[in-house]
Amino acid sequence: MRQDSDARPRVVRHAKGKRPKFSDVGGVDELMSMVLVLASELCVLRDRVDAMERVGARNGIDFAAEIEQLPLDQAALEAREARRQDLFQRLYYLARKEAEELKSQETTDRYKAIIDEIAKP
Amino acid sequence: MLNTFQQRTHAMLPTATHDESSRQEFAKSLKQFVQEALLPGLQPVFTQRAAVRFSEKHGHAPADRREIRSAMLGDPYFQTYASTNRISQELMWASVTDSIDRELPKLIERAKSFSASARAQLKIPGQFEVPRYISSLDIHCMPGGYATEVAPDDVSVAALYDRGAYLYCIGYCGPDNDDFGVSVCNYVKRNLPGFAPRRILDLGCTVGHSTLPYKERFPDAEVWGIDVGAPLVRYAHARAAAYGLEVNFAQMNAEATEFESGSFDLIVSHILLHETSAKAMPRIMRECHRLLAPGGYMIHADLPPFDKMDGFTQFILDNETWYNNEPFWGAMRDMDQIQLAVEAGFAREKVRFTTAPMAILEAAAKAAAGYTDEAATAVADRDFTAGEFAPGGGWEVLVAQKSPEARL
Repeated sequence: MRQDSDARPRVVRHAKGKRPKFSDVGGVDELMSMVLVLASELCVLRDRVDAMERVGARNGIDFAAEIEQLPLDQAALEAREARRQDLFQRLYYLARKEAEELKSQETTDRYKAIIDEIAKP
Repeated sequence: MLNTFQQRTHAMLPTATHDESSRQEFAKSLKQFVQEALLPGLQPVFTQRAAVRFSEKHGHAPADRREIRSAMLGDPYFQTYASTNRISQELMWASVTDSIDRELPKLIERAKSFSASARAQLKIPGQFEVPRYISSLDIHCMPGGYATEVAPDDVSVAALYDRGAYLYCIGYCGPDNDDFGVSVCNYVKRNLPGFAPRRILDLGCTVGHSTLPYKERFPDAEVWGIDVGAPLVRYAHARAAAYGLEVNFAQMNAEATEFESGSFDLIVSHILLHETSAKAMPRIMRECHRLLAPGGYMIHADLPPFDKMDGFTQFILDNETWYNNEPFWGAMRDMDQIQLAVEAGFAREKVRFTTAPMAILEAAAKAAAGYTDEAATAVADRDFTAGEFAPGGGWEVLVAQKSPEARL
């Protein structure tokens, strides 16, 4: 996928022809494509996990069954919960930012005022 | 019935890594989902919501496909459907380009070596003008279109088409992607008893996937495939050799070929005409008439005309015009193809539209991966549904016979 700087010929990546707009709201079309690309990558990852389980099975390790029966000790429970909370933090970073701005009274007016202030000789 | 159809691999197909092939499967599954789960929702969205809004505004119900389109454009369900459909197409091509980009030098070498092993001819003139209906847009959003070459002896867009067209059809065109060709061959064998074509020409053959069935079913015939894309015929020639079949290919324009008058007994095309133009189509019909020997047949398998469909079905089908870089898709369906054939020289009583039943059941008989009897029967038995990537039941074919008494 990465376009190297080497000289060898590369295939064409974009189709000639104006892409139509679907949503009247700016950014929604782009968002839609990003969501589907992410869904695709999620599927790819799930397929890879599936492949690992199948490769394991071919070599006598029943990952799928062992995964179902794996006991989670305290360390595992904590590691997983931490990872989930961390994911939510990242997923809701904009909402958290908004709350933080309200708390610290960061406003658009204040932002503009800073620009003016900094620009003053 | 889960669709798990898989393309049969052959030596010219690019190979995909695990993750590339997984992305390809995702694009194919998304198309299946759009067709099975999103497409049917358009009807209630139209009748219950979009048509009501339109009537309130204009004082009358949407009367034709253009008014239906204007009623649907602002509807969020339609926007989700249409944009998902478009993205599925973009992701489909992208999922294949990665493999080709990685393997391109090898693919070019492989094509050269297969072509060198064939006795059949490959003709690519140095100078060739690709018609504007092919060069002005990348049809069906395929990056590079049919004729772009990024390297000497390039086959990249052809490899992209070979794999992409299979995914586009969600496997409904059989493991060798040859259902169109096989279905028309079956039609000829079953409906034209005693007709044994000695020379067969396939117009707009792309990678020759529909051309090969003619050589398989008429092994003594001399078979030619022509296309305006040099990478396509180059790849098609190598692909035929990889299948062990001697089929000739040439870069030629179907509007004006270099073949002699009366030199073919059977001229066919598969999903070609809707990718040409209003100016080119009459010329192609005339060229078919010129090239046919007296008593020979012309058979075009393409999209049925709009005149027998209701406005809503027309609207669904016409979405390809607006959202999939198919500029002639809608206009072509408005043309009187029978009249065009008559003007090209065929007698009116010798021209007709008919249906060639889909041959997908044969794919199940060959037990290709994913093609179970059950899945193939489900496809062969269903009714035509507008907007699906493969219509059920059969392919629409325009059949015309040149008068046996015609003089060359």
